[in-house]
Amino acid sequence: MAELTFTPVIGIEIHIRLKSDSKLFCSCSTDTDAPANTNICPVCMGLPGSLPRLNHKVVEQGMLAGFALNCGIRPKSLFFRKSYFYPDLPKGHQVSQCDLPITTSGYIEVHDANGNLKKIRVHHLHLEEDVGSLHHSASDGRLEGADTSYVDYNRCGTPLAEIVSEPDVASASEAVEYVMNLRRRVIYSGASDVELEKGMMRFDANVSMKCSDGRWGHKVEVKNMNSFKALERAIEFEIKRQKKLMLNGEDVIQETRHWNDAKGITSPSRVKENYRKFIVEPDLPPLYITQEWIDKMRAKMPEMPDVKANRYVSEWAIPREVADVITDDKNLAAYFEACVAAGANPVRASHWVRTEVLRVLNENQLKIKDFKIKPEVLAALVSRVDEGKISTTQGKEVFDYMFANACGIDEAVAKLGITEGGVAGNALNDIIAAVIKANPDVLEEIKSGKDKKGKKLKFLQGLVMKETKGQAKPQEVAEAIAEAVK
Amino acid sequence: MELYELNLHDAIEGLKAKKFSPEELFESCKKRIDSCEDKIHAFITRTEDFAKSQLASNPTGIFAGVPTVLKDNLCTKGIRTTAASKILGDWRPPYDATAWKYLREAGAILMGKVNMDEFAMGNTCGNSAFGPTANPNDISRVPGGSSGGSAAAVSAGYVPFSLGSDTGGSIRQPASYCGVYGLKPTYGMVSRYGLISYGSSLDQIGPFARTIQDLQLVMSVIGNYDPMDSSCFREKAHDFTHNENPSIKGKKIALVKEFQDFTLDAPIADAMNKIKKILEDEGAIITEVSLPVVARYAVACYYALAMSEAHTNLERYDGVRFGYTVKDAAGIKEMFERVRSDGFGAEVKSRIIAGTCLTEPTRCEEYYVAATKVRTLIAQEFSRAFGETDFILQPATPSMQPKIGEVDDDEMKGYEADLYTLPVNLAGLPGLSFFTGYADKLPVGLQLIGPRWSDAELLNAGVIIERHTGSPKIANGGAE
Repeated sequence: MAELTFTPVIGIEIHIRLKSDSKLFCSCSTDTDAPANTNICPVCMGLPGSLPRLNHKVVEQGMLAGFALNCGIRPKSLFFRKSYFYPDLPKGHQVSQCDLPITTSGYIEVHDANGNLKKIRVHHLHLEEDVGSLHHSASDGRLEGADTSYVDYNRCGTPLAEIVSEPDVASASEAVEYVMNLRRRVIYSGASDVELEKGMMRFDANVSMKCSDGRWGHKVEVKNMNSFKALERAIEFEIKRQKKLMLNGEDVIQETRHWNDAKGITSPSRVKENYRKFIVEPDLPPLYITQEWIDKMRAKMPEMPDVKANRYVSEWAIPREVADVITDDKNLAAYFEACVAAGANPVRASHWVRTEVLRVLNENQLKIKDFKIKPEVLAALVSRVDEGKISTTQGKEVFDYMFANACGIDEAVAKLGITEGGVAGNALNDIIAAVIKANPDVLEEIKSGKDKKGKKLKFLQGLVMKETKGQAKPQEVAEAIAEAVK
Repeated sequence: MELYELNLHDAIEGLKAKKFSPEELFESCKKRIDSCEDKIHAFITRTEDFAKSQLASNPTGIFAGVPTVLKDNLCTKGIRTTAASKILGDWRPPYDATAWKYLREAGAILMGKVNMDEFAMGNTCGNSAFGPTANPNDISRVPGGSSGGSAAAVSAGYVPFSLGSDTGGSIRQPASYCGVYGLKPTYGMVSRYGLISYGSSLDQIGPFARTIQDLQLVMSVIGNYDPMDSSCFREKAHDFTHNENPSIKGKKIALVKEFQDFTLDAPIADAMNKIKKILEDEGAIITEVSLPVVARYAVACYYALAMSEAHTNLERYDGVRFGYTVKDAAGIKEMFERVRSDGFGAEVKSRIIAGTCLTEPTRCEEYYVAATKVRTLIAQEFSRAFGETDFILQPATPSMQPKIGEVDDDEMKGYEADLYTLPVNLAGLPGLSFFTGYADKLPVGLQLIGPRWSDAELLNAGVIIERHTGSPKIANGGAE
């Protein structure tokens, strides 16, 4: 008998906090870090007699997020009441577009196991309100067994986009790529900053298994994943668990399971899923979106990261890897493009951003928007190195000095005692390249490791110094040749 | 003549001319309330201290110094608001309902919060956690409901006008029973912000008064746009200015064909004939319209929608943030169960259960969704009818005021009674309940219905009728 194989069938639901200063149905601030229960009003507290009123700014953010997922916009959508009782849900129902959402279907591309591009279809994106947050006195921090629970309603009514995928995801790695690409595109659209550490993106996964003998396992809903890592681990765990059950001929029970990140396991949810029913929210009229409004918002859509990366490669001949790294962060890409706009050579500027800028940011735990060296300053520095006014090594020293001392190029050059005008930078590199090209046998000897005493390197150095008519610094020449023959 | 007997218009004029002071008017009304309230029991909460503080701040505006009362499902900042339910406990809203805010800003003085059926569910004002209210015309009889307290307070001369709410007849039926005028405005005419919801897509706030002109005055204040209510909008500006001599000449006034076989109590049938005659004498053309879908399905459709909306509107009463709660529950589930079991009255609980059943996934299509579709048909049917006629004339209720505690077990009669009021809410139409005269000392009312946004025209028609019938007198309030 042939060995049984299993294909995971996975659908993912994502909740993303949309960027807005005020809540979905009232004008309260969305600052959830404020002291508990200070950003609340009769509407988000669900007090008797209060009525919701739709925040049109959030509708626009929903449209942008929808465009980022390649979705269309419905000319008419509705809000519904999704009923269940829980202390963090003031009205006893959540107001959500679940049944007639603002967007139609879309897709996000990922790479499958063979490295081929595949589309994960997005069923829809809809708008809904978030619930409050509970704080329990019990040691495990959960509601059951707690002596006392406290509710903070600051988060209540903050705007969410729920994004529901079709069950097109076939592995944990596809799932992670899906959510990463999706997150990046939504950030680009401006609909949300999706700061993961602030809980602005939460995941649920529906996992089931198809067996090569024709059996289908029941669907299991796994909840409570708040990071890419948690999503990946939870799906991997669930795939293994279900596979084992099916190999043993057991049934996979259809249920909701809770991901325990500390233990690295899923376990049956202790809170029974409530029986949910939807009626149309009678306090809100249907949401009508005109073609004019759609066109206006679509015009605001910036270039998406994959399109941008492709353009870097095709228009500017930037290496694919560098283009991908830079476009991963919308603000970094904007910084890089500002450098180019300020006159820097795109390829050289891309390497500076890819290596030097990112290094300094990482070392100092900074975000690009907080980076002090202005793009036009970096562009000027890149140009000076490019024109050979200063060497690459000197350029890096100047860069570090400017960063550390928040000063301009001229000041850094002066303070570092660099004399401009010698043969350095790319002009020097060009000479070195020519010298090496003219002496292939010498290069071969160095590469094969025969030049143990460095005599051959010294020989090349001499040739280069001669070519520069003594205008280069010997130390720099030595470093540059050592780099070039690697 | 005592000051409390003044209607709203005359009170305003008297105050303006300084014939008497707001304090004197307040004292007269207070004295009237003190002398009758034992028998009428219209109030849930009297707010005379608040009224005095308002007077002390010298209110300005067109209602400056005129006392009023509010149905107790309208939120009043810092003043207990109960919806006649135990579940709201001693809740004091942190905000004013918009309709009350507009009145307060116009200078109206709040004498108190008045009785109603719990969460506006009922038609006798007897289904209240605070006990029943009596009809000031005959204290052995009900004032009608659910806005019974608002109708009784105006009828008894406590105040010249009041506000109530109407989800399926809750302004028009008590107005008719108590012998006052009551308007259920077009849905969206008056902001619902701060009205404790029963059936959100049906609820509408409206005024009670002893003259049509007074209704016009109140509408000119409360019938204004409010951004806090998304269903409140304006297709055009509405002018409620009183016209002494409106005309109805050449206008068509229809009776509903399907209702003609229903039995009416004799005084109501007589009133129908009397009003038809008056309108004809004024040059109106009496005609007939057919409303087959309304006649066949409106009642079922109404209850399916009202209960579906009500059960979700009442989900927020969980004892966590406000109102009645229990402190010794073993867990959150027990807390929810006990709060809701102890807090809600029987009628409310039965409607919550019905609403829950009507919307559960296996039945939702068959009941709730079907009802939303029928509702569209009903609205279309009215629209068509109003292409053939200007107004529809019918009773507000087919029966005279029942005795308190008297149960009418004639189911068909109950069904027909509902048919006179509920369809108006389903189609979002305005309905005017007007006084026609007395039969054996009991007031008899009827109803005039118009197309959406015809509220001002309806009131003008009311002025013509009032000119013939005279305005109602203040009821004796239980005096022997």
